[in-house]
Amino acid sequence: MNYLSESPLDVVGLLAAGHHPKAGAIVLFSGEVRDNNLGREVAYLEYEAHASMAAKLIAAIIEEAKQKWPLHIAVAQHRTGKVAVGESAVVVITASPHRSEAYAANRYIIDRVKHEVPIWKCEYFTDGTRKWGGNCNCHDITGDANQHVYEFDEVKK
Amino acid sequence: MKVQVFAALKDYFDKEFEVAGKVQDVEALRQHLLELNGAAGNMLKICRFAVDDEFVDPGYQLKENDTVCVIPPSSGG
Repeated sequence: MNYLSESPLDVVGLLAAGHHPKAGAIVLFSGEVRDNNLGREVAYLEYEAHASMAAKLIAAIIEEAKQKWPLHIAVAQHRTGKVAVGESAVVVITASPHRSEAYAANRYIIDRVKHEVPIWKCEYFTDGTRKWGGNCNCHDITGDANQHVYEFDEVKK
Repeated sequence: MKVQVFAALKDYFDKEFEVAGKVQDVEALRQHLLELNGAAGNMLKICRFAVDDEFVDPGYQLKENDTVCVIPPSSGG
């Protein structure tokens, strides 16, 4: 499994490979590049990764998700390099017997990937400026760069 | 030892550079980087460090032939 891709993600192909005879539910999440952020017009994004660490960590997150939920398929792939508006930057696919596990596992995987995996986006704006941005800023809340606040925890409350 | 930086840190340091002499542990390296470029202070405070593809604690003892990666907070997705 390739966890990182320098070329456009094959969302349809990944979904086609996500079918499983024992899975009654497949959830596909695609994180896509918006043309705006915080009131500024975005031209495109560029993603950088620490490739070997990112691949290992994504694999570990998927493995942990499989321990928590009965998943027949769990896939995550993240883009690197220049990603255009409307393109997919990250895809997570989860397939399970019923939809609740597929939704929960999908959310768990994307949340952890966003917070923990060494991948960084740089936003390039239409006015020619750029900004490394959207950092996980959980350390402001938790006081620890290794402690995160996850959406999937918020959902459970 | 060799230091590799990523993402926003590349605005403050070369992507890869050598640090000569004895650096005791990760916290000492953080201080050294701060002295090299104080403008990176806010970023360095919240970075994690990794050796051999594993995150390491501030007290991790560094060896001269280590390659240390300075990992800013993630912003994937």
